[in-house]
Order: sequence, then C-alpha cells, then structure tokens
Amino acid sequence: MDLTRREFLKTSAATATATAAGIQVPAITLAAAEQAEADVQWDKSVCRFCGTGCGIMVGTREGRIVATKGDPDAPVNKGLNCIKGYFNGKIIYGKDRLTQPLMRMTDGKFDKQGKFKAVSWERAFDEMEKQFKKTYKEMGPHGVAIFGSGQYTIPEGYVSAKLMKAGFRSNNIDPNARHCMASAVVGFIQTFGIDEPAGNYDDIEHTDTVVTWGANMAECHPILWARVSDRRLSNDNVKLVNLTTMSNQTSDIADTEIVFKPGTDLAIQNYLLREIIKRDAVNQDFVDKHCVFATGPYDIGYGMRPTDKYCFDAEKDIQAKELKVTLDKDEAIAQRRKAGEVVEQKNTKKPVKHWLIGFEDFKKGVEPYTLDFVARLSKGDPDEDLETFKAKLKELADLYVDRKRKVVSFWTMGFNQHYRGSWVNEQIYAVHLLLGKQCMPGNGAFSLTGQPSACGTAREVGTFAHRLPADLVVSNPKHRAFSEKLWKVPAKTLNPKVGSHITKIMRDLEDGSVKWAWVQVNNPFQATANANHWIKAAREMDNFLVVSDPYPTVSAKVADLILPTAMIFEKWGLYGNAERRTQAWRQQVAPPGEAMGDVWQGLEFAKRFKLKEVWGEHTVPGLKADGFEDGKLPSVLAEAEKMGYSPDDTLYDVLFATRENRKVKWPDNPVSKGHGNHIAEKLGDGWFPEKALFDEYRQFGVGHAHDLAAFDVYYRDDVRGLKWPVVDGKETQWRFNEKYDPYCAKGSGFDFYGKALKALPGGDLDKVTNKEKTSLAGKAKIFFRPYAAPPEQPDDNYDLWLNTGRVLEHWHTGTMTRRVPELHRAVPTAVVFMHPDDAGKRGLQRNDVAWLESRRGKVKAVVETQGRNRPPRGTTFVPFFDEGVFINKVCLDVTCPMSKETDFKKAAIKVYKA
Amino acid sequence: MNISGILVMVPPEGTQATIERLQALSGIDVHHIDAASGRIVITQEAESIAAEIDGLKRIRALPYIILAEMSYHYFGDDAELLETIPPELEDEGLDTEAVPPFLNE
Repeated sequence: MDLTRREFLKTSAATATATAAGIQVPAITLAAAEQAEADVQWDKSVCRFCGTGCGIMVGTREGRIVATKGDPDAPVNKGLNCIKGYFNGKIIYGKDRLTQPLMRMTDGKFDKQGKFKAVSWERAFDEMEKQFKKTYKEMGPHGVAIFGSGQYTIPEGYVSAKLMKAGFRSNNIDPNARHCMASAVVGFIQTFGIDEPAGNYDDIEHTDTVVTWGANMAECHPILWARVSDRRLSNDNVKLVNLTTMSNQTSDIADTEIVFKPGTDLAIQNYLLREIIKRDAVNQDFVDKHCVFATGPYDIGYGMRPTDKYCFDAEKDIQAKELKVTLDKDEAIAQRRKAGEVVEQKNTKKPVKHWLIGFEDFKKGVEPYTLDFVARLSKGDPDEDLETFKAKLKELADLYVDRKRKVVSFWTMGFNQHYRGSWVNEQIYAVHLLLGKQCMPGNGAFSLTGQPSACGTAREVGTFAHRLPADLVVSNPKHRAFSEKLWKVPAKTLNPKVGSHITKIMRDLEDGSVKWAWVQVNNPFQATANANHWIKAAREMDNFLVVSDPYPTVSAKVADLILPTAMIFEKWGLYGNAERRTQAWRQQVAPPGEAMGDVWQGLEFAKRFKLKEVWGEHTVPGLKADGFEDGKLPSVLAEAEKMGYSPDDTLYDVLFATRENRKVKWPDNPVSKGHGNHIAEKLGDGWFPEKALFDEYRQFGVGHAHDLAAFDVYYRDDVRGLKWPVVDGKETQWRFNEKYDPYCAKGSGFDFYGKALKALPGGDLDKVTNKEKTSLAGKAKIFFRPYAAPPEQPDDNYDLWLNTGRVLEHWHTGTMTRRVPELHRAVPTAVVFMHPDDAGKRGLQRNDVAWLESRRGKVKAVVETQGRNRPPRGTTFVPFFDEGVFINKVCLDVTCPMSKETDFKKAAIKVYKA
Repeated sequence: MNISGILVMVPPEGTQATIERLQALSGIDVHHIDAASGRIVITQEAESIAAEIDGLKRIRALPYIILAEMSYHYFGDDAELLETIPPELEDEGLDTEAVPPFLNE
C-alpha cells in the first residue's frame, strides 16, 4: 500500500472514530476522509453477535467487504464497537466455509456410517425428503423436529415456524434461545402477562444505581458497559454493584462487589423484599393500584427425566431428586419446613401454576430471610469475613430502598440459566414493583439477552415448542383460531399439544421418539449440557440429522447431511434486540460457492410436500384438547378443498408463495437500492420472500401491543431500528407507563395490560383455598418464591463448583469467532479459571493441563489462576466456545422446571492433573 | 495491513500523560483530542489482526484508561491472504470437493 493511500485511510478511520465520540473534525479533514473512501459503498447494518444490537456500517468494494465501522447514528452504540462487533466483516471469510452440500455416503448411496461426500442440492433435498417422509409416515408430526435459533433473522424464524406448525402440524421446533432467556420469558409472562422489557437502554443515562446480577457486562455486553462506565464516571452519585459468583471484569469499576454462593440469589432477593417491608419502603400507592401478590408450589422438580433408564450409573443419585428431595437445613428455614423432611415432587407437570395471596402471607413468606440467615447462607467467598459480607448486603438494600435513588437491575445468564431461573426473574420484578421503581426512565428491572434476535425472532416470531407469533400459544384455542385465520389454513390444522423443548428434543433423539431433525442457525450438539448422551444419540440411533451450517461445527460433524448456509451480510434480514428494537439490513455480498440462505432452504423443502401428505389425520400421543379426539389430529383436507386448495398444492404455494405474497416483487423493488437478493434470484419466480413474509408476519402484532412497522420503514436511511410497539409511526420508550405507552388506559398512570394468566384462584402460602378466579386486568404480580438448594452441589468426591460462560473475544460455541484465526490465537485454548489455593491443593500450577470430571463426563483444560476471572476458593469457571474443551460433556442438564432452560452454572466437578 | 480507529477515554487530568504514552507506542497515531472530556482518537496500524488485538490490550493496560474501543476497521488488503488455499486443504489426498478433514475424522 502506498503511503498516501495509507494516510488517507488513517484519516478516514480517525474521522469516523471522532464522529462517533462527538469530537468536532475540521471540514477539510472530513473531505479528505470522504475522498479516501470514494470507492467503498457503505450501508447500514446490525452486528451479528450478542443481543445488544449495535448498529454497524458495512463497507464493500467489488463484491467484498473491506471495512466496518460502528454506526454513529445508531442510538445503541453511537458509533462504538466491541472486539466481536469489529470482526463482523471477517467472519464470513473463514477458510473452512462450507460451500456445497455434504452427505454421508458409501458407494454413491446415503449411509449413516459413511464418510461425507459433496452432493448437489437436488440430491441433498431428495434424501432429506425421503427420510422425512419415512419418519413422518411411521411416527407422525411428533417424530420430526427442528433445532431453531435466537440468531435466525425474523424471516428465517417465520419460515421455519410456519412450515413446522401450519405445514407439518408439529410443535417440535425449539430454539437455542431456550438455553439463553426462556427463564426471562416466564418471568415476564408470569409477572406482566406479556413478554419483553418495559424499559430500554436509555435507562442507563437516566439512572443513578446500576445493579448487575449474574451478568458480566464488561465482557459480555461491552458496549452497554461502556455506557454504564460513562454514566458512572461522569457522576459521583452514581453507584454500581456487581452481584456475582466470582470476581470478574465487571467488578473492576463497580463500587461494591458481592460474591455469593451459587443459587443463593433466591435468598438475597427475599432478604431485599423483607428489608423493603421492614424499612417501610413499600410504595403503597403504586402497589395498591397496580399490583397483586402471588405464589405457587415448591415441589416442581428440576426438569430432569422422571426415569433413570437413560442415566449413566454415576448420574442416578442426582436424577433421583426429580422424584423426591430431602430438605437441607437452609431450605427448611427458607420454606418453613423441617430439615430432613422428604418432599415428593408432585408438581413437576404443572410447575407454572400459581394463585393469589394476601400481603400478610407475602410478609410471612419473606420473614425467615433475615440478614443473619441470608448472609450465612449466601456468602460466596470463604475468605471473606461474614461481617464484611453482611455490610455489603445491607448497603445493597440501602441503595434499593432509597426513595431519592433510581435503580436499574440488569441480569443475563446468572439468573436465566438457573434451576429456579423463572423464580429469580419473578423476584427481581417483585423488588422493583414493591418499591414502585419500574417502567420509568432510570428505574426498572431489565433482562439483557445473549443472542442478536432472541427477542426479535425466537420470542416475537415464536419459534418455541409452545408459541405462535406475538405471544400467542398453541395450547390456547382462540390463539390457534386467530393464527389459522391469518395464515389462511383450515381450522384445527394447528396442533394443540406443546412440542418438545430443545433439551427434550435431544432426549427424544436418545429414546427414539424423534427420528428426523434439522439444525438451523445454531450448534446444539456443542451447546447442550450433558453432551455425551446427545452425541451418541445422533451417531448411534436410527435417525436422520440435517445440519445447516456455514462452518464445520461439532453439530455438522455428527450430522448425516450438511447444508452450506449463507451468513449475515450475504442475505437480507431483520433482528430484534433486547430493548424491543427491530433493525434491518440488506444483502451486501453474495454467498460463496453454493451456500444458500436458510429462508431458501425452508422454502425449497416446502416445495416437496403436497397438502395430502401432511394435512390428513395423524396420531399424536398425549394430545388432549377441547374439540379434538384424544390422541388425534383430524384430517383438514376436506376443509382445505372448501377453502379452494387442492390436495396436490404444495406447502410452498399454500404457506409462502401465496397470491398475496407474490404481489411483492423482486427485482425492481424500491427498497433494494441496487443490492442483490440471492434467495429471490434463485427462486426465480418474481417475489421478494423476506419482505412479503415480514409484512405478513407483522399482522399478528398490529393492534395487539406488538406492533411492528412495515418492512420498508426499517430500511429507510433515517431509521436505526424502532422499539415496538410502533404506533402511528412512533416507537415506544417505556411500556406500561401511560406517559410513553399508547396502549395504557387513559388516566391509569401505569397499566400492566398484558393479557396472559390474568385470572387466578386465591390461597395462602401453601395451597389454593378458593378456586374461584379473580380477574387481575391491568395489574402486575409480585411473587413470593422461596430459596431452594441446587440439586447438585460439591461433595467429598466432586468437590468444586463448575460455572460456564463467555469471554470477550469469543461468542458462544465459537463457530464464527474461532474462524478468524487471529481471534482464535488471542484465547488459544479454553482454560479453567480457578483459585490458586485450589490449584495448589491438587498439585496444579498455572498452565498445567488438568482433567475436569463430573458424574457425566470429563474434559481436559489448561489451568489459569491469574486471569481476568478470579473465582473464590471452591469455584471454577470454564468458557464454552472451544470444541477442543467440550465442557458441555461435563455440565448437568438440569433445567428450570418452568422455563425448561438449562442451568449451565451449577455442576459439581473434581479437578486433577492430566 | 489493518488500520483501525480507536476511541480512548481517560479522566481529563490524565489526557496529556496518556497522549505521550500513546505516541510512544509503535503503529499508533494520535489524531484528535478533546481534553475536556478526556477523549482521544487514535489510529492503529498493524500487520495482522492478532497484532491489532494485542495492540488494543497494550493500550488498555496503560494507566488512566477507562475505555479503549475500536470504532473503525479497514482490512481491504487482506483479500490476498484470505483467498490463499490453507495448507491443511492442500494435501490429505482429498478429492477436488475438499470436504473439511475435521468432519470425517
């Protein structure tokens, strides 16, 4: 590169950065910067990685991405990027991109034991169809499944959900987002009757107290953390508290760090609730007008299977707790029972049921959570003095109850990946609601998400086993009828039986109840806990596994058929971030080789099914619903004919390329602005699937408090995403607050208008006493939930806690970030972070290789005793990005029984020299 | 060749000292300074992205640093490097269809 060109580029880089930082740049410099980039075409886009949803500008030249920059007009990141965001342009150019379909073959035929060979798309779809039809005929809709994603674009999730639910009449589609924020969803639905946060990121600039609970924001949400840091450093009154099970980078600028024992966040929050009452800090007016109190059963198990049939021998003692639990001394105090009492887990099938209680009952529930009890139970660092720890808990309460202080609580996986994840989510809302510090600028409990469209796609589109778009659910007859009408499919097409959640799909593969599965936009065979079972199920059972992937991942490796898949800027898409902001981008470059987008893969597969093959009668074991014969889905073919469909119509024509959708034209669509669309072009039948399907999908939410704007609006040059509900062209900043939210009733002040679970029986702390249901329209629920002990804890044999999570440079299973070789080198091999004393006691030193072994499996990792994560004695931490240190073989597949989200953070292991 | 634009934030009283330390680092140019808010805009030039990450870490390790985040990244000239066939795909006796060896191990 010649010097002049280099200097020009530096001017561009400096100018873009200065603009992002709000620093004035002389006009002459601006002009020079523009000139340097004259041959680069810039377009707005969204970061591929976490749920923050940073805006980035992507620069292309001659069909190749050559530069990226933080989008200075994006309200989320205001021009900044973190390391991951910075590499958006690199991830699509990894050397081992898959560019053609690969199938396991022997002598030119599919063979599950064969080696991967390149095949044509035609051949790939032929086998996929043949295997699907074989299983579908033998087992019906429940024998097939899709592993979906919180990284689906909105149109991708919509295609898969509609194909599965309305086409194949199966609810066995569930996203990896189940592993990430399902507990947050249950918290929202139970408390507010509607999903997703009330507030938004601007709360950071409005608040004066930020409390992080199980969220290492400094490493995992660095751009939001930069906003928090900025707020903290520009105002001395602002306080930061980090509640965590180990010291981490978020602690570095926190005013107070509280290291607690895994699982005791349940007790700490009850301590806060008790303090709020004791100190007379209840916002009585807010609570009286807008809240009710509720509780539910405690004997709900731990989301494991009810049988030990599939357990390794070593796992059986933990599995037994699914049926019976012996209360320890702390649970006895916390639940007002006797230590040693054996409690049969009678409510494993209905863990979400709950009922109203009075304020006096609520008070009685939190009464045992005194400072003395909670401090003794929850202190997480054995080397910390108890009195010091008590003072910190007291200080935390001081900050929350201070009437002059605004408080934002953030959490991520520490709360969500928890054996009682739904309870801890409900509890944090209880704290904020009792104080009346919710749904207003600078005040609120805010759930952060880990994936770019966990909200926008997994939740809003409803790619879950129980959901339909816009918070509708398959088990509700009115919701099914509404969806059937909007989708123009016959009544009773939709299956009322909730499908298998993602961990259960794995268990179904193991026990043979699912025999055909399709993995989309995720890497579940690396990301699901207790992985030895699932790898074996994929390779050794009689099943057919399709994996759509841009790279050779662990999931691709265990597949029977791999479909090469287009990535982020190779396709059109929209994502929805954690603050309800929907954002869009155009295709910037063409995918390599024969790689194709997921939308095309779904549509192309749909072409291979005629209505008569899928809409006849089906047996569905366990189906029980009003208007349905037990165990049966009726034939809807006669009704379909009445609607004008032929039994020979394909699912492609009936569900996707409908007459209405074909009116949305490609090419020559004004929104395209000269960009390509490899999917529309390959389909070649003149329509624009992403736009047509998005505008069809948004009809679910319009007028139902989930209003999205029209497709084209998100592509306007002056729009950087909009926070739904978007009403009369205006986004909503704070929901449930009349001042900001058009859905609130006039004069209400606050209106918790969510409709789900808003009529309840009444009772006391232990049971329902009055079955008659009371309506709670407009109100939020304040739950009492007790402390319960983690089902697996360190003992004499497995004597250390194992916690897993992310590191800054890598993301999730590393499929994308590990492909940037330089990025890989920055954190070459996953390590086990541990306390130097714990290492020393085991004869280990920094950089030694150690075995980490649990009841379920073992892996090797490099010992790190001085890293940025500093666990207290007794605790270890392992990041999960590296398939070379396959930590999910060691993790426990206990889930929150309500949300079915796995607890990746509380297993017991032993560590010894390798 | 990678060129990135980096925003550095320090407390205002640390601005001058930080500028001097930054200027002493290889590959760094200081372009814009807003002393009142402690914001410094620099560019970093590095041979590889690994060198850039290390470079960023080196900046973060300096005294006073509150924040050092990249905002702009140019890597256009990496094209040649990216398009070379990686050695692991060149041998192994693979057929022309180059199935990544990892999948069939």
